[in-house]
Amino acid sequence: MADIIKIDNLIKSYGQVKAVQDLSFKVKEGELFAFLGVNGAGKSTTISIMCGTLNKDGGKVIIDGVDIDENSDDTRRAIGVVFQNSVLDKALSVRDNLIHRASLYGIHGKECDERINELSAVLDFKDFIDRPVQKLSGGQRRKADIARALIHKPKILILDEPTTGLDPQTRTVMWGVIENLRKTENMTVFLTTHYMEEAADADYVVIIDGGKIVAEGTPVELKNRYTGDYVTVYGIDTEQAKLLSEKYEEVVGGVRFLVEDTAAATALIVSHPELFKDYEVTKGKMDSVFLSVTGKKLTGDNNG
Amino acid sequence: MKTFLISVKRNTKLFFKDKGLFFTSLITPLILLVLYATFLSNVYKNSFQSVFGSFNLQIDEKILNGLVGGQLMSSLLAVCCVTVSFCSNMLMVQDKISGANSDMLITPVKRSTLAFSYYISTTISTLIICFIALSASMIYVGIIGWYLSFLDVILLLLDVILLVTFGTALSSVINFFLSSQGQISAVGSIVSSCYGFICGAYMPLYSFGEGLRSVIMFLPGTYGTALLRNHALGGVMEELLSSGMPEAAVTGLKDSIDCNLYFFGTRVEVWVMYLITIATIALLITAYVLINIFCKRKKK
Repeated sequence: MADIIKIDNLIKSYGQVKAVQDLSFKVKEGELFAFLGVNGAGKSTTISIMCGTLNKDGGKVIIDGVDIDENSDDTRRAIGVVFQNSVLDKALSVRDNLIHRASLYGIHGKECDERINELSAVLDFKDFIDRPVQKLSGGQRRKADIARALIHKPKILILDEPTTGLDPQTRTVMWGVIENLRKTENMTVFLTTHYMEEAADADYVVIIDGGKIVAEGTPVELKNRYTGDYVTVYGIDTEQAKLLSEKYEEVVGGVRFLVEDTAAATALIVSHPELFKDYEVTKGKMDSVFLSVTGKKLTGDNNG
Repeated sequence: MKTFLISVKRNTKLFFKDKGLFFTSLITPLILLVLYATFLSNVYKNSFQSVFGSFNLQIDEKILNGLVGGQLMSSLLAVCCVTVSFCSNMLMVQDKISGANSDMLITPVKRSTLAFSYYISTTISTLIICFIALSASMIYVGIIGWYLSFLDVILLLLDVILLVTFGTALSSVINFFLSSQGQISAVGSIVSSCYGFICGAYMPLYSFGEGLRSVIMFLPGTYGTALLRNHALGGVMEELLSSGMPEAAVTGLKDSIDCNLYFFGTRVEVWVMYLITIATIALLITAYVLINIFCKRKKK
């Protein structure tokens, strides 16, 4: 797969504050890429530079093979963005919003109508296309937001904390829609989120802190590198757990051991196979990865 | 061009769909008309009667009412063409507050297209409201004493268009620098409370002191008010001359209600008033274009 986003040595400062410091990463075409960091880590600055609304102090940003310094119009056409807060005109209908958005990309008339029909079928919003946005439910609005971002057929969909503040049902609807788009249109999704379980489904994760990359890799690589494995054994008591000479904690119906890695889990099982009649081995969570590399906890309260 | 037209349509639709904004803008000139007619018409009437009394003239009640009506109409339009444009142009600031503006700039659309679309949609919305105010004022004048010729009506329409264009250009330049709801409210309050005084709509400049009058003569809005006065009262003035009022007395009356303006003692002709208003509009639009270019460069 080719690199659809290439960022090399990106630098941006606001006065004395270094928002982004020598940031370099690549995103492959069709990938679900998670870009994580606490408030003020430099995520929004990086996205604004990619979108062409903020100038960088140094470095190179190449979107779909085009340097943003050379042809920002082309790179703008390659990107669609869904923000945390909906920027749809609430008094207007979904159709009016989409017509206006399409016109900003020079898409008019029949071409625009066809694209709106296409999107309404894919995202399933035919029923409320002529309803004012202010009268839509949270899930319906999110669908309209995604349609707005996709109206010009971008190759990259940037989701800037798209599910923050949404109820679980709406989050499920939204992720269903995005998964469908990735499968049908091979779309690259660039995601920032505060929900670690969403990042766990990514193909590649970059974690930034203080404008620098502190960790990157696939979720499994990061879990292996920064957290241990959990071995949960059901049907044994603490007396039996002590026989294994490993740190443990009690859970409902059994005990859980934290081991260094999967090899250590295997060794533990092999050492006392009679105790392992009902058990499971699970990787550490992305929350633990994040906490381990940044020393900070990522919460939904943060806005950056 | 299509992008520009769709943006104008979007802005205009948003203005009229925002019931609070639309009705506030619409009702303000109508309330002003009712307040003027209720509280000020008698004051104006008594003042005119005393002027005529000093010349021992018996003026027909209808002419007197025509004078009062013309003055009310011109004052009302002078104020609302500018204040309503500030109200209509709020969308530009609201888009900044909501993030819609930044979101639009992610697309390849030119900043100038967006800036010009705000200008045109504000002009359209303000014109619609001011034409409604003009119609209501004309109905009022028609009831109490109509002396307007067809040409006067056409010129009044032209004056409204010019003043709305002026008000929109002024509000575009000022609103460009606003970025919060508090700033919108503050500017709205200042403009609606002060503009009527400094353009000579609430009080004739003639009643101000020499120094203040000289300063106000440098403000272009004053000439817009004078244009409206001339066209709203031209017919009545003709009628006064025909009814035997001496020309010097009519000139004195015109001076006292700002139909005639004097710039350091020199009378400003009507065509000069047009020239000043048009030049100011051109200057403000140029300033609006320049600040858009300058601010774009600043972000780059």
